Amino acid sequence: MAKGKSSASKGKGKGGRSAFSGLSVIASAVLLFMVALPTFITLTVGLLPSLVAFIFDRSPGRTMARCVFGLNFSGVAPYILEIWMQPAQTVSGATQAVFQPLALSIMYGAAGLGWLLYLAMPPIVANVLNLSAQRRVSELRKKQRGLIKTWGDSLIKEVDRSGN
Amino acid sequence: MAEQAEDQEQDVSNGAATEPVMDAPGGGAPAPAEPEETSENDEATISAGGKSVEIGNFRVFLDLRMPEFDMGHCKAYSADNLRRDEGSAFALVTDPVLPTRHDHMTFLTGMHMAGQIDLIDYETAYWPPFGRKTMVLFYEKPAGGRVLAKQTKKLPIDEHDIATVVVEPLMNAMQAFGEKGLAHRNIRADNLFFADPMHEKVVLGDCASAPPGYDQPAVYETASRMGADPAGRGSGSIADDFYALGMTLAELGIGRQPLKKLNDQEILELKLSKGSFQAIASQEKLPLVLIEPVRGLLCDDPEERWGLAELNAWLDGRRTKPVQSNTEKRAARSQNLAGRDYYTCRSLAQGIAKNWSTALAPLRDSTVEIWLRRGLGDNDRAKALSEAMRQLQWAGADKRSAEDVLVARSILILDPTGPVRFKGFASMVDGLGFMLSYDVQHGRGPQRFADVIVRDIPSFWFSRQEGYSPEVQKQQQLYKNLRYYIQQQSAGYGYERCLYATVRNQHCLSPMVEEEYVVEIADLLPALEKAAETASEESWPVDRHIAAFIATRLEDDVEGQLMAMQNPSDEVEYSRAIISMLAIVQWRHGPDNLQNLSHWVARLMEPAIKVFHSKARRERVETEIPKLAKRGNLVELYNLINDEQERRKDQSEFVEAVAEYSEAESEVFDLESSGPARMELAEKVGQQAAAFASTMIALLTVSALFLMHIF
Repeated sequence: MAKGKSSASKGKGKGGRSAFSGLSVIASAVLLFMVALPTFITLTVGLLPSLVAFIFDRSPGRTMARCVFGLNFSGVAPYILEIWMQPAQTVSGATQAVFQPLALSIMYGAAGLGWLLYLAMPPIVANVLNLSAQRRVSELRKKQRGLIKTWGDSLIKEVDRSGN
Repeated sequence: MAEQAEDQEQDVSNGAATEPVMDAPGGGAPAPAEPEETSENDEATISAGGKSVEIGNFRVFLDLRMPEFDMGHCKAYSADNLRRDEGSAFALVTDPVLPTRHDHMTFLTGMHMAGQIDLIDYETAYWPPFGRKTMVLFYEKPAGGRVLAKQTKKLPIDEHDIATVVVEPLMNAMQAFGEKGLAHRNIRADNLFFADPMHEKVVLGDCASAPPGYDQPAVYETASRMGADPAGRGSGSIADDFYALGMTLAELGIGRQPLKKLNDQEILELKLSKGSFQAIASQEKLPLVLIEPVRGLLCDDPEERWGLAELNAWLDGRRTKPVQSNTEKRAARSQNLAGRDYYTCRSLAQGIAKNWSTALAPLRDSTVEIWLRRGLGDNDRAKALSEAMRQLQWAGADKRSAEDVLVARSILILDPTGPVRFKGFASMVDGLGFMLSYDVQHGRGPQRFADVIVRDIPSFWFSRQEGYSPEVQKQQQLYKNLRYYIQQQSAGYGYERCLYATVRNQHCLSPMVEEEYVVEIADLLPALEKAAETASEESWPVDRHIAAFIATRLEDDVEGQLMAMQNPSDEVEYSRAIISMLAIVQWRHGPDNLQNLSHWVARLMEPAIKVFHSKARRERVETEIPKLAKRGNLVELYNLINDEQERRKDQSEFVEAVAEYSEAESEVFDLESSGPARMELAEKVGQQAAAFASTMIALLTVSALFLMHIF
């Protein structure tokens, strides 16, 4: 009962944290909309793949969304900086800059690279782990062969006997 | 059962009546077809002419028989003492299938005693006519020859001189034996020799070449011991020697063996019905002067029988107290058994022993018990018999065995001083060992002895003895050991152990060394060394006889080794135990170099090498074994496989190796069986790594852009 209660409170806490971060994102967005509309437009258009990824990625930790966001943001960051560097930040200027094909390609391409990274990394890790396991098995077999060479068949018999 | 009992009865009666012959070992049993090459023998070598053989310090002439010095079943040969010029010796060759008497040989060797022939030495040696080794005793020739010469009918000693010529020296010898706690048990007129040419003193002949009383005519034995087989008449006491002295005097007085016309059974019955003295006096004409000592010495009650004090008194011409001629109580009416009437308990006991199967019915229907109560008025015996009957009712499934025990116990109730009798087996308790030896070496096997011990008949004999006797106590202790030995089945125990424990001079009967006549433990390994030359590869150098022989004769405790030998299927422990036993014997008694035996042992060491787990250690031991075997040292061979420190190290390392191997195996199994889990892990880790990498790229990009704009 206590355990159920504690896990419920844990779930509630996590949900609360998530809701809090969601609210803070919306609050930031609203603030950004009111204070720096050109930046808001650039971010909204540029980070659209990340937004989609955050909406569809329901896995724990949302690693795919984080992957996509990281590189997507890397692609958006130069244009944000470009807007910030202009003496007068205007919506039309921001829109013009964002909707250029090259800019879109860089921003979305970066998001795509993030997604590719997400897809490519697990097989790479799996291969590394498999290779490491194989190397360990080979080391252990070598060690066993050495023991048999030193102690003869009696070792196997004793292992079998103790195993039985 | 009845038929078996009758067969056994027949065997016993035949055996008792047979005169021992000494043409060949075993009293006439066929000797080996061809004598072995004597050149192989260390101790005995036949000279160039093939007529003599050197044994120790003596040269024995094979073609110079001396029948005048034959003693009992043993033949005498002329012998020269190679170390001493004075004196003349003769060799008495013992029968290799009859044990000699160790205590008597060690007591008499090299000692001069008035009244006893001088035993100069004794040796175990190869005897060509037998084709095997045997014990040869060397005696000083008595100057006057045998007292009872076969060719003369004349009395050898005047009846008035018997006291000084015979009784005095014999008393001296008997006293010396008595002081050592020994009994001669071979006192008879036939075994007397004149010590001097003037025939002034006699000496007793050999008493060590055969079991006690074995060569005695039955008439010389007391009624108690007569009922036993010759080999089982027992060591006895000085009282038995006095009885034999009485009979000797009677024979010297009348000039021939008393009651010679009667067979052993008739003599026994006569003695039981009339008493020993009356039995002689009624059939023979005793000289007047000898009547008193013969009566005193032939008294059937050992407590009443004359001893040294009475004989001394008689020699001094003093009168001694008269003795009861016959103390056996006679019943008012007879007890019939198998068509014969018996009037005394002891004669009935003998009758039961001789009619084993038919005796059961009168015992079971209480006829004997009623006879004891009403005919003899002996309520104590009747009560004991009734108790024995009651115990029969408690017997379990083995009714036959219980019935046999009842018959055996009934005999002991009726004749408590007599021999233990069981289905044809008849031996005094102090003669059980010699009886076993005789049975084993004469084809009867140990079964009869084992039956008696397993059924605990001697215990009943002990319970029927009246009063305290240190001798009986000693025998009882020895018997307890025998019972323990016979109940154990493994090597080192069984009848073999009983044999060597009870007969000190029993040679080892292992087929491997039997012909080497190994009596002393020090001779065992040389005999095995010889046997190793022809031993088959699979055979072990220690069999049941050798294990029992070592266990009995060796000063060290080998119970641990015997325990290890209980399980021959455990080859490692079995071979280690055998090598250990032989190594201890070599360490204690030598010789230092036993090449053949070492090679034999080395061949059998393969299982013992398995005590080491390490291949390197095994290989080292395997290379060491031939080198050590070449040196002929069993102790070194044993130490090689019994290095306790090395073994312990090997064992602990092996345990570690087993653990290491198992751990590795378990890890390999885990690695090989964790593929899906690893893929799952890889996916999770990969995704996290990708997310991390992506975040890091974002941070680096932003940082780089800022830095670019700043600088």
